[in-house]
This record gives sequence, structure tokens and C-alpha cells, in this order.
Amino acid sequence: MRELAVYIHIPFCDHKCIYCDFYSVTTLRNKTRFFEALKKEIDFYARKLANSYSVSTIFFGGGTPSLMEPHLIGEIIEYLNKKFNFNSPLEITLETNPGTVNPNKLKAFKKAGINRLSVGVQSFDDDDLKFLTRIHDSRTAVRTVKKAADAGFENLSVDLIFNLPNQTIKKWQKNLEIATALPVKHISAYSLIVESGTALKALINKGKVQIASTDYDAKLYLQTIEYLTNKGFAQYEVSNFAKKGFECRHNLFYWRYKDYLGLGPSAHSFIEGKRWLNYSNLTKYVEELSSNFNAIKSSETLTEKEMLEEFVMLSLRSEGLDLNLLSGKFGEDWKANNKGLLKKLEENNFARVEKNKIKLTPKGYALCDEILLNFKF
Amino acid sequence: MNTIRNFSIIAHIDHGKSTLADMLLEKTGSVSEREIKSQLLDDMDLERERGITIKSHAIQMKYKAGDGIEYTLNLIDTPGHVDFTYEVSRSLAACEGALLVVDASQGVEAQTISNLYLALEANLEIIPVINKIDLPSAHVESVKNQIIDLLGCDESEIILASAKERIGYKEILEAIVKRVPPPTGSSAKPLQALIFDSFFDSYRGAIAYVRIFNGELKEKDEIKFFANNKTFLAEEVGILGLRRIRTKSLRAGDVGYLIAGVKDVHDTKVGDTVTHARNGAKEPLKGYQEIKPMVYSGLYPSNAEDYEDLRDALDKLKLNDSSLVFTPETSAALGFGFRCGFLGMLHMEIVQERLEREYNQNIVTTLPNVEYFVFKKNGEKVVVDNPADMPELGEIERIEEPYIKAQIVTLSEFIGSIMKLATEKRGIYKNTNYIDPTRASLEYEFPLSEIIFDFYDKLKSISRGYASFDYELIGYRQSDLIKLDILLNGEKVDALSIIVHKTKAYDWGRKVTSKLKELIPRQMFEVAVQAAIGSKVIARTNIKALRKNVLAKCYGGDVSRKRKLLEKQKQGKKRMKQVGNVQIPQEAFLAVLQIEE
Repeated sequence: MRELAVYIHIPFCDHKCIYCDFYSVTTLRNKTRFFEALKKEIDFYARKLANSYSVSTIFFGGGTPSLMEPHLIGEIIEYLNKKFNFNSPLEITLETNPGTVNPNKLKAFKKAGINRLSVGVQSFDDDDLKFLTRIHDSRTAVRTVKKAADAGFENLSVDLIFNLPNQTIKKWQKNLEIATALPVKHISAYSLIVESGTALKALINKGKVQIASTDYDAKLYLQTIEYLTNKGFAQYEVSNFAKKGFECRHNLFYWRYKDYLGLGPSAHSFIEGKRWLNYSNLTKYVEELSSNFNAIKSSETLTEKEMLEEFVMLSLRSEGLDLNLLSGKFGEDWKANNKGLLKKLEENNFARVEKNKIKLTPKGYALCDEILLNFKF
Repeated sequence: MNTIRNFSIIAHIDHGKSTLADMLLEKTGSVSEREIKSQLLDDMDLERERGITIKSHAIQMKYKAGDGIEYTLNLIDTPGHVDFTYEVSRSLAACEGALLVVDASQGVEAQTISNLYLALEANLEIIPVINKIDLPSAHVESVKNQIIDLLGCDESEIILASAKERIGYKEILEAIVKRVPPPTGSSAKPLQALIFDSFFDSYRGAIAYVRIFNGELKEKDEIKFFANNKTFLAEEVGILGLRRIRTKSLRAGDVGYLIAGVKDVHDTKVGDTVTHARNGAKEPLKGYQEIKPMVYSGLYPSNAEDYEDLRDALDKLKLNDSSLVFTPETSAALGFGFRCGFLGMLHMEIVQERLEREYNQNIVTTLPNVEYFVFKKNGEKVVVDNPADMPELGEIERIEEPYIKAQIVTLSEFIGSIMKLATEKRGIYKNTNYIDPTRASLEYEFPLSEIIFDFYDKLKSISRGYASFDYELIGYRQSDLIKLDILLNGEKVDALSIIVHKTKAYDWGRKVTSKLKELIPRQMFEVAVQAAIGSKVIARTNIKALRKNVLAKCYGGDVSRKRKLLEKQKQGKKRMKQVGNVQIPQEAFLAVLQIEE
């Protein structure tokens, strides 16, 4: 049986934050219908995949999955378990926003089967949080992480965002210090992405918000890598750091180019070289599932070249490009075509080659996209 | 032959030549009003937009004069720009008279003078016409005085007109009949026909516009071109109305067209003489010159894959532009392209625009340059039309560059600033003539290279439009010239090399390096931008290495989007030109063209 990662998009939020472009609605009106539809979608894919795939990780993302009652999440886990074989150990992550949970609710999630929490802290600075229009303050963030640990969650992660307007080196340093002092095993530290269609983008376009230069962004980024590495959080992807053994197994499925199934509106799936995505609209999602058994909006079958491009991109962004694995999958051409650049990357300390694996250095991670643009495919 | 009058209209640009032609055509009934598009004779889109006549044309009118006789008037139009001086001279050579049109508010301008000289050289009878007399800003009296000073004519000879208001046509037509002499020559003599224009028709091949000086040209005649000694069979001959009108023969004095199954417009050279293959004239008509380009530039396709398309487009363009020359060349920076020769800057712009508009070509052009004579220490003479071909510094004994004689006409208040500009452009002052108390004609000699770049634009701006300019080539002179190279990380960008006067090298080097710093995006490695003469670096700046370019998130839903974005950016990079390990956006090459001296 092949391994499968399952992503479940819970499209409900209390409100929309200015920087976020994930699909969500701010009303719970269709909650019941959503969960019914979700079960139908599980049925559909179980019929197709359950014979050949068993589930290794489940990830509840959103949206704000922690806004849901724990029993609803529990029912979905149970339902999946009924339809698919589960592997052991099984990683089940719930994205959790501070301010949406209390100790009892946390315990209930634990009981429902969740064994990893990814806490959407974003910042431990109240000005930053206000700017980001988050519903919580820094005290709530700290308390949520502590209560989660108290509730028995060992595998805890926090999300942080840097290169926010007016974020000094010192302020960001403080964020990193608070995060590493908490009982967390994993930290995602993202440089702010200004997505099109967000309120933030509009503010920037109007000149009301200014984003610092890429040089400053680079400074904060290298600071992050250095600090977290020293604290025992190893970088295993552009924006992700973990204590040994606590890498997010679910996300590694994406980056190791393995199969994953996405359920819920706007979710993406990638199975055997085929990629598809669901409608990014809750009503449409529910409708489609009542008539068609799935909610696929579009799909693409990747060409060999596209797969090679994605494989190189994802490998370099994460644990490194295994040249033996690459040759096995795609042949020797790529290596031959890029010999010169690879040598240059190594000479200039953008990458290290160890045991036939190219791994980017901090300086290399910072320029990963630029490096990818220079490869010949 | 006594009832034929062949004439041209010469004028400074915008003095109303085309409108005046329209008026004559309309009033002689040669065209109906419905047929009159404004400026009938300018039939290329570009010409109409730029308000200039690029190619010359001809048209025949019938006019019943005051003496009761019907005359045949052939109007031969002339190109109105300095780039086409030779073509103008050939059109004028086909005539016996010319209307000299001067704008009543603008007065005599540089082009008026230079075209007048051409007309006088061709021994034409000049009929001065002051146009636009209806304008409130018209200064008829002072313009009259300018013309009298210029021509030494009598005031009564000057005709007052407003082509727009259809005033003065009768006087003009009568003057043409009475003052322009009829053609001389004889139909009995061996054939001598002057080609004053030719163009390419995709169905009929090259069509030559000719003026018969002697003899008779009939269909089925076996004819010969003097310039290349090639023979053809005259398929069709006729006169030029609004369209071609087949007459089967043309006799001495006539103006008309000749179609002879000529596949290549370069066989029907402007200024060449047509005669019969057997029993033809012994000598061609005087004045033929092989047209030589004055300005050269490299033309490269934006996308290397479009090289063959660009070649096809140039080949097609060349079919009806006999003055365009090009040869393949290779640039380390820009790849495969062509070195093209043009008559002047306007011609160059026209060719570029036509390539883009009519042939959908995206092109990158290099800095225009003139043709240099380089004399090496070993006695060898090298003709250099591309800075990349310049011999090594140590091998050069001296360099000569083309000089021009320039005529600048302006209001006296601008003389000071124009003289300053002329000095900056290495001009040699020769003479000042006052056309009237407020207007002067300055005579200067300039290196042609100083004129082709931005001289004309600068002249217009410092004189607020009140200066006109015309020039002619006078020969080669020795100058203190050097080749300036631009280097990126130590590698020469051949397409950015220029040949420049020593005193200007530092300034140019600084400007180009700082412009490149602005336009070349930061890359993975630091880029050193240098300007150098030989091995001596005279200007330098650095483009700092890029420090961050990575998208923070790439999860399941982002992979496809991210790949597509990278693909798109890769396409963008592909359009960049590569020198060593440095990628240069095409805008950088184009921006160098905009740098002000």
C-alpha cells in the first residue's frame, strides 16, 4: 500500500485578516452542510483510493479549524478511519488560532485524535497583531501555547511572520526569543507575502503601508535562521524549523513530491502525477458534491518536464536535492545541463553538496527562487 | 513638347507643400474633391503621420491656360528631409522649374535655402510663392523681402497664396505655363530617360518613374540601364494620373512610368538613365550617384528565434527602399542580427518603425554610428561601420570621420545658445548671413557623428522651434577619436561600444555605467560595470548582489502556481541578453540610445 497525506480545508473564520488569501467564509450558516458534503467527498475518494493507499498524515487547515466543535473534527477523523486504512504512527495536525480555544476545548481535540497543533501566533507583539488584524493579543498567544502543552500536546508548532512594517531587528529578535522559550518543537517563520486581492495589497497600492526592502528582509531572514539553528531548531525548509524528529510529516509529503489528497473547498490534490483542485466556494462545493460526488474544478496531468521542475524546486526549498533520486526519476540530463551553475553555487557558498545531495545554505535559501530561475530544464 | 511643363514644389517642412499640390490638382480637375484625401501625395501612413514626404511621386495635370492652349503639367514631388538630398536632386533634375514655397509666418528656413540651392544647381526656373497669407501671424512684407534678398528677384515675381483657402492657384498655374520653360531635347535622338523614383509593386515588380529627355520609349522596346548594364523588355509604359494610365509610349519631355519585369528595385536606381539596348544613347544623363549610407546601426531580433523573420522583413523592406543596405553580423551580447546602413536618422527611424508596424518585428537597435576611416600604422586603411570592428588601440595611426556643412536658420535671439550647442557638438563656425534684421543663417561644419544623435532635438528645444537645419556631406577629416568599451564583470558588451571623441569619453562612460546600474536587475552575484578605453578603466560602478528572492510559502496548493510563475519569469529572463554571467534586459540597450550627451 502506498502512503497518502490528507489535507482537509475547513473554510470558516471569525473574520478575514488583511494579509490572508486562503479561502474562507465568516459565517457558520453552512457548517452542517459542509461536514455532510465533506463525508461524501471522503466516500468518493475512498472508493477510488482506499484499496491502494493508506493514510499517514491528516492536516486540518483553513480557515480556522479550531473554531469548530471538537466532536465535528473527531467525526471526520473517525469517518476517514472507517473508509481508509490508517498507518502508524499517524500525524494529525489542527491549525489553531489563539482566542478560539480554552483548556477544555484543547483536551477535547486531543481526545478526538489530534496529536499536533500548529498555532497561528504570527507575532508576540501587540502592534504587529493589530496591524495584521488578528483577533488575539500576545498574552493570549502565549497562554494558548502553554495551555496546549498542559493539555498534553507535545508536538506543538507556532507560526510567525517577519518583515512586517516597522518591525525592527530587535522587535523580531524578541519574537524569536519568546517563541523558543515556549514548549514548542516546531516553528514556521514566514517573510510577509503580499498576496494579490488582499486588503494589505490594496493598502500598499494606495501608499498607506510600506514594505521594507529585500535587503532588510534578507537581514531578518538570516537572523532567523541563525537564531533558530542555535536554539536547536534545524531548518528543513525555506520557512520551517524543527527540533529533531518533529518535522511536520504532512508537509514533507508536499516537499518530497509524494501523493496527497485535498478535501474541502479550494483544496489541491496530487496523486500519481495528476493534480487537481476543488472549487473555492463553499456553496458550489456543497452543490457539486450533492450532484457529482466530487467538487473538482480543474485538473492537470503534469508533463515529465513539469514534474522535473517541481521536483527540483521542492527539493531545493526543503531538505535538499538528492541527485541519485533525481537521476532515478528523470535521468542524467539535468545534472549535465547544470554542472557549471552547480559548481558556482558551491564555490560561492549558496549550496553544499554532501553525499550526492545539494542542500542550500542560509544564503542560498534566501535566493532560492533566483537560483531556480538560472537552472536549465 | 511646347505644351509640356515639368515642375516641382520645394519648401521647408510644414510650409504647406502638400496642401498646395492638392489645390493645384483640384483646381485643374485632375482629381475630384471626393478623391482628395488631405495631402494626397503622401500615401504612406507614416508619411502622413510625420507630415513629411518620404518617397517622391509624380502626377500629371491638364490645364487650359489664359492663352487658350491646354498644357500638360507634370508635378514631380520631392522628399522633404535632409536624409534624402540625393533623391531630391534627382527629382529636381527631371524638371525645368520649381515652385519655392515659403510660409508667410515662418519665413525662409534652412531647408528652403538648401533645396533652393539644389534647384539652382539643376538650372530650374524658380517661382517664389508665399503660402498661408491668410494666417493672422503672416508677415507677408518681411517674407517678401527675405525672398527678394535670397533670389535677387523682383517683387512682382512673388505670388501670394493660401493653399488651404484655395487662394492664388490661378496665378501659380499661369506662372508655371509662362515662366517655366518647355522641355528641350528631341524624340528623334537616342533614348535617354532619367529614373527619378522607383518602387516595388508585388504584382508588377519594380516600377520606375522616368522623365524622357531624348528619344521615345515604347512598349516591347528592349531597354538597358546604364548603371548595371542589364537589359529588360519594356512591358508597359504610361503616364501618371491619380493612377497609372497606359499610353504605350513616352516621348521626349514626357514624365511617366516604366514596367519592365524588373524583379529587384535595386536594378532601377534613382538617378540612372534608361536607353535602348540597341542603338541606344552613348552616354547616360549626368548626375547619377551610387547612394551611400551615412548612418549605421545594428538591428537584432528581441528573440533569437526570430532572426530569420527579421531577415525576411528586411528583404521585403529593401524591395521598395533602395537606399536600405544590410549585412548579417554577430554580437556576443545580442546574438545574430544585421548591420544596417541608412541615409540618416530619420531614415533609420522609419525603417525601425516599419519593421515593427508592418512586419511585427520586435527589435533591439544599437547606438547609431557613422563610417570611419582608420589608418593603421602598417599603412592599411580600414573602413569601420561598427565599433566592434575597430582595430586595437596600438595599431592605429589616425582616424578620420565624415564632416558635414550645416545650414542653420534661426531668429537672432537664439544665435547665442545655438552657437553654444554647436561648440558642444564640435562645430566649426564658418559664417553668418542675415536674411533680414531678425533672422540669420549660420553656416557651420560639424562631424557627422555629432549630428546624428540628438542635435536636431536639442536645436529645436533651445530655439523653441525657431531654428531649422539642413546639411550636406563635405568629406573626411582626422579627429581625436577613441573606442570606448563597456564591460560587465570584465567582459566586453560589444553592442555598447562606441567610437567617441576623446574629450567626451569620460562623460559618456559615466552616464552609461550609471544608466546600466539603474536598469540591470540585481543578480545572484555582484556585477562590476566599467567603461574603458583599451585596458584603461575610466568609469566604474557596482550593482550589488541580490540578497533575497524566495517565496515564503510553498504547500500543496502553491506548487503549481509557483511553477507557472517561475516559468513565466524564466521566459522574461530568456528575453534578456547574456554577457558572461550577467543578464542584461533589452531596455538597457534601448536606454543607452536615450542618454543625453
